[in-house]
Amino acid sequence: MSLLDEIDPLKAEALVEFNAATNQSSLDRAKGAWLGPQGRFTGLMKQMGALSKEDRPLAGQAINAAKTEIEKALQEARERIELATAAPREPSDFTAPGRRPSLGRLHPLTQVTEDIVKSFRKLGFVVADGPEIEDEYHCFDALNTPADHPARDAQDTFYVASDGRPLLRTHTSSVQIRVMKEQKPPVRIIVPGRVYRRDTADATHNPTFHQVEGLYVDRDVTVADLKGTVEFVFRELMGSKTKIRFRPHYFSYTEPSFEIDFANSLTRKMGKDWLEIAGCGMVHPAVLEEVGLDPEEWSGWAFGFGIERIAMLRYGINDIRLFYENDTRFLHQF
Amino acid sequence: MKVTYNWLKEYVDFDWSVEELAERITMLGVEVEGIVEAGGAFEGVVVGEVITRDQHPNADKLSLCKVNDGSQELQIVCGAANFQVGDKVALATVGTNMPVEEGEKPFVIKEGKIRGETSQGMMCSGSELKLNEDHDGILILPKDATVGQSFGEHMGCSEKDAVFDLEVTPNRPDLNGVIGLAREIAALIGNELKMPLADLSETGPKVSESVAVEIRDVDLCPRYNARVIRGINVGPSPAWLSSRLEQVGIRPINNVVDATNYVMMETGQPLHAFDFNLLSEVKGKRTVVVRRASAGEKFTTLDEQKHELSNDNLLIADCEKGIALAGVMGGLNTEIQNDTQDVLLETAYFNPQNIRATSKGLGLHTDASYRFERGADIGCVDWVSRRAAKLILEVAGGELLAGDVDEFPAQPETREITLRHSRTDALLGIVIEPAKAVDYLQGLDLEMLSQDEGSATFRIPTWRVDLKREVDLIEEVCRVHGVDQIPATSPRGCIGENDFDAQHDSLGQVRDVLTGLGIDEAQGQTLISDESAALISGDLARLEYPLASDMNVLRPSLLPGLLDSLRNNLTRQNRNVKLFEVGRIFAAGPVETRSVALLLTGALNAAFWQGEDTKVDVSDLKGVIEELLESLGVYGVEFVRREEVGSLFLESAELRMGKQTIGQMGQLLPVLGKRYEAREAVYLAEINLDTLLQRRTTNKSFKSLPQFPASERDVAMIVDESVTHSDVLGIIKNIKPANLVETQLFDVFRGKNVSEGQKSLAYSFTYRSAEKTLKDKEVNSAHDQLISALKEQLPATIRDT
Repeated sequence: MSLLDEIDPLKAEALVEFNAATNQSSLDRAKGAWLGPQGRFTGLMKQMGALSKEDRPLAGQAINAAKTEIEKALQEARERIELATAAPREPSDFTAPGRRPSLGRLHPLTQVTEDIVKSFRKLGFVVADGPEIEDEYHCFDALNTPADHPARDAQDTFYVASDGRPLLRTHTSSVQIRVMKEQKPPVRIIVPGRVYRRDTADATHNPTFHQVEGLYVDRDVTVADLKGTVEFVFRELMGSKTKIRFRPHYFSYTEPSFEIDFANSLTRKMGKDWLEIAGCGMVHPAVLEEVGLDPEEWSGWAFGFGIERIAMLRYGINDIRLFYENDTRFLHQF
Repeated sequence: MKVTYNWLKEYVDFDWSVEELAERITMLGVEVEGIVEAGGAFEGVVVGEVITRDQHPNADKLSLCKVNDGSQELQIVCGAANFQVGDKVALATVGTNMPVEEGEKPFVIKEGKIRGETSQGMMCSGSELKLNEDHDGILILPKDATVGQSFGEHMGCSEKDAVFDLEVTPNRPDLNGVIGLAREIAALIGNELKMPLADLSETGPKVSESVAVEIRDVDLCPRYNARVIRGINVGPSPAWLSSRLEQVGIRPINNVVDATNYVMMETGQPLHAFDFNLLSEVKGKRTVVVRRASAGEKFTTLDEQKHELSNDNLLIADCEKGIALAGVMGGLNTEIQNDTQDVLLETAYFNPQNIRATSKGLGLHTDASYRFERGADIGCVDWVSRRAAKLILEVAGGELLAGDVDEFPAQPETREITLRHSRTDALLGIVIEPAKAVDYLQGLDLEMLSQDEGSATFRIPTWRVDLKREVDLIEEVCRVHGVDQIPATSPRGCIGENDFDAQHDSLGQVRDVLTGLGIDEAQGQTLISDESAALISGDLARLEYPLASDMNVLRPSLLPGLLDSLRNNLTRQNRNVKLFEVGRIFAAGPVETRSVALLLTGALNAAFWQGEDTKVDVSDLKGVIEELLESLGVYGVEFVRREEVGSLFLESAELRMGKQTIGQMGQLLPVLGKRYEAREAVYLAEINLDTLLQRRTTNKSFKSLPQFPASERDVAMIVDESVTHSDVLGIIKNIKPANLVETQLFDVFRGKNVSEGQKSLAYSFTYRSAEKTLKDKEVNSAHDQLISALKEQLPATIRDT
């Protein structure tokens, strides 16, 4: 049998073996058996030297063509096996829950505070801050709250046992005084922060709670300005269809003073026409005088509200103590 | 403060419904906190008189009548037979809602035709009015019943009314009386205020012959008025008086006391009535002495409480004994009793601060002290006294002695305030006609003294203690004009400035980084217990008068709060807890500092269906801290192991920047963990946030990306347990191997082939030059130098790889 006649059967046999390989090792074995140094196809090529000069080109051509074909089959088998090896042993269930790196949650009070800060910043307000341990001057006296005012009762205020009777601020309004004393007007600040009242903890009270205060002092500031800003901020916070009502009230550090009520789908759901949400007013001239500003030249307004109250309304939370328990199931709802 | 709709109507005309009235006074600044409808039984039913009675033309058993309802004659068809012309009957007029039993359909009287004849109402039987079971005939009323009177009134039921519960702000004591409120309404609608009558017939001898008043402390009592009524009959009050007091929450006692309470509710001025004959008499005179109590003086108030007084308490006394705690409560010894004959009526003004201090000091809060401590009307004392005397005479009889004894040594200054119309407009942001502003203020009974083009000057009435300067008048104009009439203008103004603004964002960044790392934000109580605080520090800021013993100090650290939150979670089966808090902490001084604290326990990742349950360990905590520091741009923080077990930590390290300790981290002592319900390891850290934010660098600059390949050399070496990663870094820092750009610890191993007390550290060192591709020879020379330094200085034994 001539060499030429041996090529095709040998090739066919090799192809069968490569195609049959199911893993890398059987493929490696097949490769060795056919194309390795001692391989049968390599042997065939070695016999080329024994051929006559005339026969050699033809045989060479045929062997090369067969070799290309075998190597192609080898490559295909290799890819086929690689793919089969790479594929997961079992199919993935794309409906099963994923492995989630969980994101921590901001406390709901922080979220509400930040929303408030954002709306005020749109209007050019910046955040200001002051100490939580205050003195009577900044918390009361300078705010036109005389010594015999009910708000100064020891029943309402926590005093710290130390010289000079420092106290825990009962409102963020103390920051008004600090900022106005340091800074020439115009002043345009918002002050979020912790405040303290001597209330026994229950569903609606916690001795620690949070307030936000806004203050604007400039020339020609009016009640109409105050209304415009308050309406803007509360519509941002409580929805664009929120109605706002101003009701005359009394605070010692503003004159005139108002309480702010709102009405929206939330209040309707609660069966109320209006719900009180904040207090505000024009900065009392006595307060301006106290910080060295002439009330004839400068006027301003301030307003403040409780962050817990807004958060409770917004999310329908019925117990203020939940905010301070930090149950992760609670925190993860916001 | 409670007031009723009908009571208000006695002093001012208005045609608002109950709801409208509530809305109006709320918008005036007196919030209506509740409305309770009261009385009003048999509304629409009146006493009628039968004028004619004829046979119904179309029905044998019916009669056709004309009945007078007090204002007109109505035609009524009636089926009853038991009445005749001239009888007084209960006539239900058109629109009456007849009383029905529960579950019955409402029954409203309508005008209609019965067998072709119009009927404009119904004459009622006892059963139709649910008075009795009698339905055989209509109710025939006594002959003397007043035609046109409401049937309810005829039966002695109170008329329909609504009781408002009002929130009166502390600056407006004048609104603690019905007249004060009526004045506001009068100003709002421009109607006249109808003051009740206080005219008197004084028939007795002069009061001054039998009574003297001696004020020994004019500061505490600038005015005291006494009147005397003799020969009264103490007994129950008439129904109108007692029922009205009950409506506004005051318990009726007897006619004399009720009359004084009624006038207090009417005017806002408290009064007191003494049994005249129980005051000591000296030379035919009873002397009322207004003096400070002597220290330790004993006194028993009406409620039979014994008090020991101090020199700060003001006492009303006679020549021998105290008879009333001024402005707070009368004395038991001179109380009006059933057999009291003669009454001494006190109307006075007391210093608000003093009454407040006494009331608070003795824990005795009364309707009188409530009003005096807010400031009564010194100017109205005499008028109120006359008004009360008139009422006592009306309900208890007796004879009024002529005149009064009105000690008024300290006349109050009269206040005058000028309102500039331009100021009003400038503050409110609208234009208010000067004439309108003046109208509003005059409507509130401010007397205008003068005016010119730009301003008007007013005398402030004595009851308006809140009006002190121009802005107070502007507020009055705003209230009466209506704040809802001021349009909201678009926010205007400047760009604000404050140093803290940027810091607020830094605090926000800390929160964002930590939540991004999977940790939930907590908010803890600022006030905690001594015991919890003692875990951290003995240097505490304490409350002077704590509310409760578990809230008596200001937190010296955020960790106790996080541990409390941990317990809240663990007791509710939330076993994997990762919390942080950003907040303030306090120390004696007092001083406050911002702090950030972390707590990790339980599984590292959320539960997953492939059941991986790696627990957090100290490296997870460290990793969070490293990530936080890097994102803030804080570098050079060292973690220095503490060798001793602390009161809080089983194992811990201090965080230091140079010589400054800025925080700590570690694993909670298991015995403490148990106190907080923890069964697994709990990891805690706390860092001074003020320092972190001071030390942060926010400058960032670009470094070219490496252009040449790096060479890595891995080394495993055996060292003593005491050798730390930081020791290795220290040596590298010292010898600075050429081109070494990164050192990475990739394995720590103890066990096989490593003897007890030693460990194997495996490092990967990366060498790279920014200028060229390094040759092996160059890398090896630097690396060999490093290896020999590690060998000698740690010391270390290099393992074969």
